[in-house]
Amino acid sequence: MRANRIVAFILSNLIWFLLVAIVAFFALITRNFLTTANFINILFNASVLGVLVIGQSFTLLTGNFDLSAESTLGLCGLLGIFFITRSGPPLYGSGWMLSPVLSLLIVHAIGLFIGLANGVLITKMRVNNFVVTLAMLITIRGVTLLVNNGQTAYSVSSAYNWLGLGKAGPIPIPVIVFLLLFILGNIIIVSTPFGRELYAIGANRNAALASGVRPEARIIQVYMISGLLAAFAGWMLSARLTNAMSSMGKGMIFEVFAAAVIGGVSLKGGQGSLIGALGGVLLLTTIGAGLNLMNVSVYWIQAIRGLIILIAMIIEAQKMRISTLASAAAPRSKTQVSTG
Amino acid sequence: MAESQPYFVEMKGVTKDFPGVRALSSVDFRLRSGGELRGLVGKNGAGKSTLMNVLTGVYPPDAGEIVIQGKSFSRMTTSQAKQMGISYVHQYSQLIPPLSIAENVFCGNLPTTRLGLVDWEEVYRQTQERLGRLGLMIDVRRKVEGLSVAERQIIEIAKALFADARVIILDEATAPLPKHDVDLLFSFVRLQRERGVTFVYISHYLEEIFELCENVTIMRDGNNIGDYPVSELTTAELIRLISGTEVERFHHALPSADSTSILVVRELSRQGAYNRMNMTLRKGEIVGLTGLEGCGKDSFARGLFGLEALGDGEVLLDGKRYRASDPRNALNRGLAYLPRDRHGFGIIGLRSIKENVTLPILSRLTNALGLLSQKKESDLVSKLIKLLDIATPSMAQPVQFLSGGNQQKVVFAKLASVAPKVLLLDEPTQGVDVQAKVEIMRIIDRLSREQNVAIIVISEEIRELLDLCDRILVMFKGTIVAEYHSGDPKMTVERILHAVEGTAQQ
Amino acid sequence: MTRNKAAMIPLLLDNLIWGLLSATVIVFSMLTNRFLSVDNLTNILVHSAVLGIMVIGQSFTLITGNFDLSAESNLGLIAVLGAFLLTAAGEPSNGSGLMLNPVLTLLVMLATGLLIGEINGLLITRLRMNNFVVTLSMMIIVRGLAFLITQGKTVTNLPASFKVLGHGSLGPFPISVIVVIGGFLLASAITHSTRFGRDLYATGGNREAALASGIDPDKRILQAYLISGGLAALAAWIELGRLGVGATRIGEGMIFEIQAAAVIGGISLFGGRGTMIGALGGVLLLSSINAGLNLMMVSGFAIDMVRGIIILAAMLLDAQKVRYKAPAGAAARSSHPVEMKG
Repeated sequence: MRANRIVAFILSNLIWFLLVAIVAFFALITRNFLTTANFINILFNASVLGVLVIGQSFTLLTGNFDLSAESTLGLCGLLGIFFITRSGPPLYGSGWMLSPVLSLLIVHAIGLFIGLANGVLITKMRVNNFVVTLAMLITIRGVTLLVNNGQTAYSVSSAYNWLGLGKAGPIPIPVIVFLLLFILGNIIIVSTPFGRELYAIGANRNAALASGVRPEARIIQVYMISGLLAAFAGWMLSARLTNAMSSMGKGMIFEVFAAAVIGGVSLKGGQGSLIGALGGVLLLTTIGAGLNLMNVSVYWIQAIRGLIILIAMIIEAQKMRISTLASAAAPRSKTQVSTG
Repeated sequence: MAESQPYFVEMKGVTKDFPGVRALSSVDFRLRSGGELRGLVGKNGAGKSTLMNVLTGVYPPDAGEIVIQGKSFSRMTTSQAKQMGISYVHQYSQLIPPLSIAENVFCGNLPTTRLGLVDWEEVYRQTQERLGRLGLMIDVRRKVEGLSVAERQIIEIAKALFADARVIILDEATAPLPKHDVDLLFSFVRLQRERGVTFVYISHYLEEIFELCENVTIMRDGNNIGDYPVSELTTAELIRLISGTEVERFHHALPSADSTSILVVRELSRQGAYNRMNMTLRKGEIVGLTGLEGCGKDSFARGLFGLEALGDGEVLLDGKRYRASDPRNALNRGLAYLPRDRHGFGIIGLRSIKENVTLPILSRLTNALGLLSQKKESDLVSKLIKLLDIATPSMAQPVQFLSGGNQQKVVFAKLASVAPKVLLLDEPTQGVDVQAKVEIMRIIDRLSREQNVAIIVISEEIRELLDLCDRILVMFKGTIVAEYHSGDPKMTVERILHAVEGTAQQ
Repeated sequence: MTRNKAAMIPLLLDNLIWGLLSATVIVFSMLTNRFLSVDNLTNILVHSAVLGIMVIGQSFTLITGNFDLSAESNLGLIAVLGAFLLTAAGEPSNGSGLMLNPVLTLLVMLATGLLIGEINGLLITRLRMNNFVVTLSMMIIVRGLAFLITQGKTVTNLPASFKVLGHGSLGPFPISVIVVIGGFLLASAITHSTRFGRDLYATGGNREAALASGIDPDKRILQAYLISGGLAALAAWIELGRLGVGATRIGEGMIFEIQAAAVIGGISLFGGRGTMIGALGGVLLLSSINAGLNLMMVSGFAIDMVRGIIILAAMLLDAQKVRYKAPAGAAARSSHPVEMKG
């Protein structure tokens, strides 16, 4: 009996056990792994991915994918710089010289709008969410290429770049922001009616509807959240790099899914936690950092990452199987709730 | 077409148990060789489908023997059943919609030319010819997805016949069909009967049994009550055989009903569902609503709750105009609904009892910051768990791990948390063990007496409605055809069943 | 709606692609006078070759109701693997130094494609994993492997004999065009006229019914993935000939175009419907639009955007089409009621 409980505990917190194991592994193999500087670096690298994962987790909880997030990141990151920079070489901006504040407001509004479009197409027009966000992924990337004719835009605005390069003491601003957003996101998901409804919609949309939830409105809202956060992540990344290539963010979406799935957010919806997703982000980034310190070639790291994703998916598929078998075999409980 | 055996199918002493219930109790069932149109009737849970599932090898019997064409089996596999000529045509389709009729008929078995390529000429020619021999003129190149439901069923029957089926089981074949389609299906079935095919026709529609069948077998509580030639039975007798006598289990104490009406329905009509519904519901009243599947009672309830369109007409809730655009709307106005499909629309299996119960009223359980208050939630949920006697180690238990009865109680708890004025319950005791059935009926009774909730109970269990309701309304093909009041000697199971079947009692 | 009009709609929808293609050709020939030149038309066909072969492969899996998202990465890996085996080590070729015989290389390429297809198929049918998830993961892993092999560098100096498929001509006809058209004709024959092909449609149309009819859906799905993998090898051979080099990023981003061409051509993402010839039409349409916009000097990025919109529209249409063609339940009324005699 106790063995069962221990196994259950490990399985539900698997990601943290894995993380500890990985850290221990790298600490043994490489020098310099267990340093504050390294950990801060890991968090720094995790920040942009992390923000995207927050947004994706919101949609995944309702059982929906948002494949377009990486393209929204790319577009908004580019536009953010594009609006505030002068035109022509060497910066290649628009020349409109908007204030950073205005530019960022517009860019986030665009993120919201993309989310709205996704949400409406999926709920009102009833098109499959994979298909819609896939098409959006392509279209938005196309628009991004169009905006500056494929040319990279460079930012010389310290106000704009602060989000990527600023520091509060030894801690980079992106890390602080990323952690704050995670905390905020977690509070929303765990402790608000809104969050509860998301789980309900993902687990059984019809029953949620019959319980007074409005799934369509919520789904549109989570896509808007995902779009907004993708825009924010675009700002973060372009600020950090102080430039925005038109291919910025391309290919990131797979890592986003990987981190979410590894962290226990089910692709079917209705299950998982943001904390778990955070674990997934940290695991992927730690592995990347560790392999880097070991001077492993970038390409091996890529391949290994892909392998981890596959393994994570296999585990998730087996977990589904085990839980369906378990519910079928579960003894019908007869004990009473303690009164009082 | 002389068969070597007098009986094509003999089921002897077949018993089948499921956890907690004996579905078949030493049942004998025989089908003669040479063709027959046999009706198979009985209430929900009487064992009709289970019997046929045992015959076709879906369930192995726990006792008894199956003899087909003289060969004896203690248990069968589905492929054996097919080989022995027994075929089950279900309500859901086993056809492939984007493909043609001909290709569906030959699915997995397409004839090929000498080169090994599909011989489409042959496919179409043979299908056309074989369907023609069955008496069917239809363009076999048409895609199945363009066919009506009746046509699809005919094709499925044809497919079974081409696989040399001698016994074809039709299970509730006509439920989704409009009248002229039923005629089409029946003509086809009769044609095949003349060729020596036996049909076992399972249906709730007694008038169809009388129209189509030669003999009828009646099941009740897992027993075969008997086989009768249809010509020797009147509808009344058939109904009496189906319903039998049962021990009383629960009695609703007649309330002194508050005379205020809470729900008024006027001339409510929705095409294809129900027609000119009129009713008045008073506070604390329990009204039963019954009828055959497809009579409109479910659409009516779902329409009131906002899960379906409501149609034309007027509804007043608590004196004010009412029309729910979605369930949230309905709940806000004080009307709640317990769905018939518990797993699809009732419970969220993956989530905990607590989450299920509080889902409709989350906004009421927040603190000053707008965040959910743990205390408010657990207080409410534990109160409801205690009130409804839900058996569970904790409120964090995912609902999917509870028994059927307890799951249903969770749905009740959820509805109770809303404190509705009007409650619509669709088959509240379905799929629930006997003990829990009584408990649920007590809960319904308490809600009406203590909370003055007006309740409509939709059910096909007339016995339960008699125990529970102040009034019973009967619907038939979309209209309310009868109303019975508690205390009226005319409110008997038989009379109600007549009304349900659409036959008048002499 | 009169009976004739009602019968027209499915007919229109099925052949929509040819209408669209004709319209596109007409529009572009009006907008730019070079569109209808032999040069341009040949160009369209040549550029369609690689996409076309990939679309054939994808269509096989789509008909069974499954995606193969790894296809673009398969193309990339197999291409660089082949190039790697053929060429000398170190700069500037960046090959393995094995200088493997071209025929042997082709066999290795084919084997790789089949292996990936087998892995995809097994994970999906045996482990019952979701096809989107599996092929998505494989897409990443396989691309990673490509990078691993080339270390990010481009492999050059391919032997001329090897490039014949992508670069050579038979008289006035580019070989790649012959191959792709031949491929579509063969695939069409297979899907239309063999039991194997019909089993694929049954599997995608209603898996349970297929199973009940004695078909082995899992075997067919596995075979479809093998075909997709194998065809990626063929496409890689053509692409290496066309490009002349083994670039690590070959195929990157192509998956969207592949899906779009298939869907536009009538292959439903839901499985069970569509034809290979239709898919060919989809390929031609996308390539024509590409060529036409290019001729009109539209920026490459605008073309990307237009492509995205086309894909979205195609998939919206697919979803609507399936809804229209398969109305469920009692509301279904037959377009031509059946008659009975006797």
